[in-house]
Amino acid sequence: MADLHFQSALAHRSMPDNTSISMREISERGMIDLRGLTTDKKFVAAAKAALGVELPKVPRTSTTFGDVQVLWLSTDQWLVLTGRARVTALLADLRKALGTIHSLAVDVSDMRAIIRLEGDGVRETLMKGSTLDLISDDYAPGTVRRMRFAEIAALLHVVEQNMIDIYVFRSYADYAWEFLVKSARRGSEVKLFPNLIKD
Amino acid sequence: MASKPYRLAQGGSLIDRSRKVTFSFDGKDVSGFAGDTLASAVLASGQKIFGRSFKYHRPRGLVGLGSEEMNALIGVGQGNKHEPNLRATQIEIFDGLSAESQNRWPSLKYDIGAINSKFSRFLPGGFYYKTFMWPRSFWKHVYEPFIRKAAGLGKAPEGRDTDTYEHMHIHADVIVVGAGIAGLAAAEAAALAGAKVLLCDENPVLGGIADLTAGMIDGECVEDYAKALAARLSAMPNVHVLSRTTVVGHFHQNYLMAFERVGDHDPLILASGAPKHRLWKIRAHHVIVATGALERPIAFANNDRPNIMLASAVRGMIGRYGVTPGNTGIVFTNNDDAYLTAFALKKAGINVRVVDSRSRSDGALVKRAIADGIDVSLGSVISAVEGTLEVKAVKIAAYRKGQGRVITERRVECDFIAMSGGWNPALHLWCHNGGKIQFDDGLQSFRPQSHTDAITAIGAANGTMSVADTLVEAQVAGEAAAKSVLKKAKTIKATKFKIEEPIRGALESMWFAPATGLYNEGNKHFIDFQNDVTAADLELAQREGYESIEHTKRYTTFGMATDQGKTSNVNGLGVLSEATGKTIPEIGTTTFRPPYTPYSFGSIAGAHTGALFLPIRQTPIFNWHKSHGATFEPVGQWRRAYTYSQVGEDKHASITREILCVRNKVGMLDASTLGKIEIKGPDAAEFLDRMYTNTFSTLKVGRCRYGLMMNELGFLTDDGVTVRLADDHFLMHTTSGGADRIAAWLEEWLQTEWTHYKVFVTPVTEQWAQFAVAGPKARDVLAKLDPDFDLSSEALPHMSFSQGHIGGYPIRIYRISFSGELSYEVATPANFGQGLWNAIMEAGEEFDLTAYGTEALHVLRAEKGYIVIGDETDGTTTPIDVGMDGMVSKKKPDFIGKRSLEQSFLKGPNRKQLVGLLTEEPNDVLPDGAYAVRVLKDKPPMEMIGQVTSTYMSPTLGRSIAMALIENGRDRMGEVLSFPLEGGKVMKATITGTVFYDKDGARING
Repeated sequence: MADLHFQSALAHRSMPDNTSISMREISERGMIDLRGLTTDKKFVAAAKAALGVELPKVPRTSTTFGDVQVLWLSTDQWLVLTGRARVTALLADLRKALGTIHSLAVDVSDMRAIIRLEGDGVRETLMKGSTLDLISDDYAPGTVRRMRFAEIAALLHVVEQNMIDIYVFRSYADYAWEFLVKSARRGSEVKLFPNLIKD
Repeated sequence: MASKPYRLAQGGSLIDRSRKVTFSFDGKDVSGFAGDTLASAVLASGQKIFGRSFKYHRPRGLVGLGSEEMNALIGVGQGNKHEPNLRATQIEIFDGLSAESQNRWPSLKYDIGAINSKFSRFLPGGFYYKTFMWPRSFWKHVYEPFIRKAAGLGKAPEGRDTDTYEHMHIHADVIVVGAGIAGLAAAEAAALAGAKVLLCDENPVLGGIADLTAGMIDGECVEDYAKALAARLSAMPNVHVLSRTTVVGHFHQNYLMAFERVGDHDPLILASGAPKHRLWKIRAHHVIVATGALERPIAFANNDRPNIMLASAVRGMIGRYGVTPGNTGIVFTNNDDAYLTAFALKKAGINVRVVDSRSRSDGALVKRAIADGIDVSLGSVISAVEGTLEVKAVKIAAYRKGQGRVITERRVECDFIAMSGGWNPALHLWCHNGGKIQFDDGLQSFRPQSHTDAITAIGAANGTMSVADTLVEAQVAGEAAAKSVLKKAKTIKATKFKIEEPIRGALESMWFAPATGLYNEGNKHFIDFQNDVTAADLELAQREGYESIEHTKRYTTFGMATDQGKTSNVNGLGVLSEATGKTIPEIGTTTFRPPYTPYSFGSIAGAHTGALFLPIRQTPIFNWHKSHGATFEPVGQWRRAYTYSQVGEDKHASITREILCVRNKVGMLDASTLGKIEIKGPDAAEFLDRMYTNTFSTLKVGRCRYGLMMNELGFLTDDGVTVRLADDHFLMHTTSGGADRIAAWLEEWLQTEWTHYKVFVTPVTEQWAQFAVAGPKARDVLAKLDPDFDLSSEALPHMSFSQGHIGGYPIRIYRISFSGELSYEVATPANFGQGLWNAIMEAGEEFDLTAYGTEALHVLRAEKGYIVIGDETDGTTTPIDVGMDGMVSKKKPDFIGKRSLEQSFLKGPNRKQLVGLLTEEPNDVLPDGAYAVRVLKDKPPMEMIGQVTSTYMSPTLGRSIAMALIENGRDRMGEVLSFPLEGGKVMKATITGTVFYDKDGARING
């Protein structure tokens, strides 16, 4: 297995040197798409047993336990994040725990590309392509939100105040990267409510 | 005269006399000072003409001070950086700026098109519709091109724009549009009450026309008060200020759009990486319209001559830039406000006299003017202007309101005129989304009345003209806006202002000043300067029966173009009112439409240019395709490899090579774009039985089945192979373009109709890279890669599925074929895609494995008669039409579209049916979409009985093949059809079955 050629969506792209924020692809993260009904207590319990953490039920939130993080996607869908190396084992655990319970867990580690944006101005950079009010208190760290970004579907995960992960479907990765490089170009920074001091 | 006769020795609040700036205008170097606009600098240089008018090519000068300017439209920049139709009054000059005037040839002073003016009696209002209508063909080929060339604004830039543009979104509790004293005060009140406030103003400097306004606030002049207020606001944490930003439109739910000129005024800003323009998309809970008012011109004879300006513009030129239009001026007014201009002129040492159409005024400013010794002619109008390229003299006639003819007049020499017909509240934003307006007798103009949105108009935009009333109104509005939005807004203490301002006399409407000589013989009264519409044109339209103001607008072009009637609207209504005897409110207004001022196409495109023009989807193998000579074709947003042309090979040659390689050896296709949907749950099989025409509940685990999907109308909408992974678990393949649509379609039925079904649907298209390895040697290639599963036909027969590893890569493998050859589709997680592709390529080298693109794929499938949804179907095609009756279940109780297939017209005779076609001439390839006719005639019309759906040159068969939907096609086997083509050519083709190659299907078994 050692000689397998692994090539992430943005492997051919290098870190831009003319942006006001830092941008990099996170390729080492594994992802599992989990479907199930929160009205089914057995499902909720089995998921928690396998993942070690409660599934977030409040829209746009996430939960974390160790190296497992669960992002709320919709009322019956979650994205489970963990290290790429652990996905196979975790998926097996999950399927075992779920057994015949009505559910669907799929390895989608390669389905999306993740771009980590970091630095002063990440929120404004994203607002060049999104209608969301990312500078409001609604987008505190931990927030997850599916959004339309630069005319494509994307998933937003606020990691820290100035650190945001953007998930886009793999085929759009190059386009999204290009849009971000252009929008984060030095000299084009926009500071919204510039006198506002955020803690 | 001195070298710079029009730059005053002192004054100019916006200019920095220590910094000289040189730019080029019409090829000549002009110098001004930092802070000058192109308008002020050119006027200071002594030039009065800025452009030629739209229709008559009359020489025109400045009229306004800011965005209301309608004459001085200027093109800025060269070649691909050229931007036409900018208002000279808004262009801030910088060293190296290159600008030119428009609509003139060869020069502003000598313009050939001005001959239109001599023939103006033949170009009356509505001339487009009256003239040039005969002979009919002349309109398109002779008249229209000529008119287009003769009448026009600027020219479009040449070449690709290299500047960048972008969009930006912002949310605010309250947006205040306009940063005059009203807007500033309202913004401060809203911000102090706790609201997040966005303040936008189109000018570089906040304050509006505070500097042109009379009065004292708490002992400070209005200008200083506004300055201090602007500084306070700019420092507040909950305020965002955007200058050089025009709010161009107000739309539903308080969504607004604003156009920011980021780098137009300073090339250094552009060079630092900033976008040239930024389009702001604003969402606000409450909108405060503080857009001020626009001064009205007066309709007097030849009121369009260069150096006839609005009184406020003259005042602004002196105060802001230290520039005077001339040495002897006349202020022509019907209101008190213009007297401020007279004072400014007098103070600057310019000779001035006032002509006031009112017979009396009790206003303080009028009394002061008389006391100061300014010559004030009450009850008078300007009845004639002498001079064409500049004003030389005027005639002043005695006047009483309503008087239509000149009785007595006298000649007075002057070199400029400052006119004021009153002020119109700038209602555009208020009205964009349906705000109602009412006529105000005091203003003789419209003002806001009611609105269904959360929006408030204040200050001059609301018809409130005094400083004292404006400040109170603004504070109340700002606080109320904050309170309407926030749960916990602070109550702010109302400020007690001490305000001194002159008591004003009443304005008296004056829609038409009587003229010397015959009306409209060489003395036009312009209403809409930009479109060359005169009072006479409006009256003519009226006489010709255009009673509705909206019809008059379209007939005369009054209120159109970039100006959108800013200065002309109410004056036009006034003329029509006098012509018809109706009141202005009875006539009504035309519709105010966005944008308030034009904004650039670049800003509309934003970042979406070049590679970002459209979102593009790439498969994991995209870069390999690119580096191996692939040309691409769009499939939805995907870019799929079309064919791989090698050096010295054209596309036709490479497609032929790829096809023959698949037929004779082995080829590989990147099929990653195929839609893939995992479907799981105890009801999954039954659910699929309902979605497809054929049955899936009988499919064995590990096997594949081709399915046809209809919509409720019985028409084909998708097809593809579905695999049973486990008893309750399926993997559905959809067409590449249908992946998202079908996933949504499945969800819709589960969520809205069959909510009792326990089924989950998860699209996984992008998780997998998937390749078709097809051809007689396909198994041999894969066998070389150490598969850890049995590849034999016994273990993995046609339409079966397995999983394991090949070349070490984890894979799912499907024995399915879209080429008719022995074929496997191999799927691996996308990030292993390129690795597996390389491994297969390497393993296939000894078998001459070649990559093939989508065109080869299409020819291969057409040779086998396989349909493509969207080619052989057009949204009105049933499974029976394409000959797939056998796939429509007779046993299943129900499935989507079943009922529709029973409708008489879908069951009836004369449906178009899918057939094959072989042209009489084997090398003739029928054009895609060519029509077959029932009876061939010499020329159309001919009755059409069907059309070609797929057509190719088949290298396998060495001749052309085609498929077509033909009326009763299956009953016409052997019949020869005629296909008349463009240019009189006719192709003839024989109807055949749809399978052209390997009719018994033996090759698929390898």
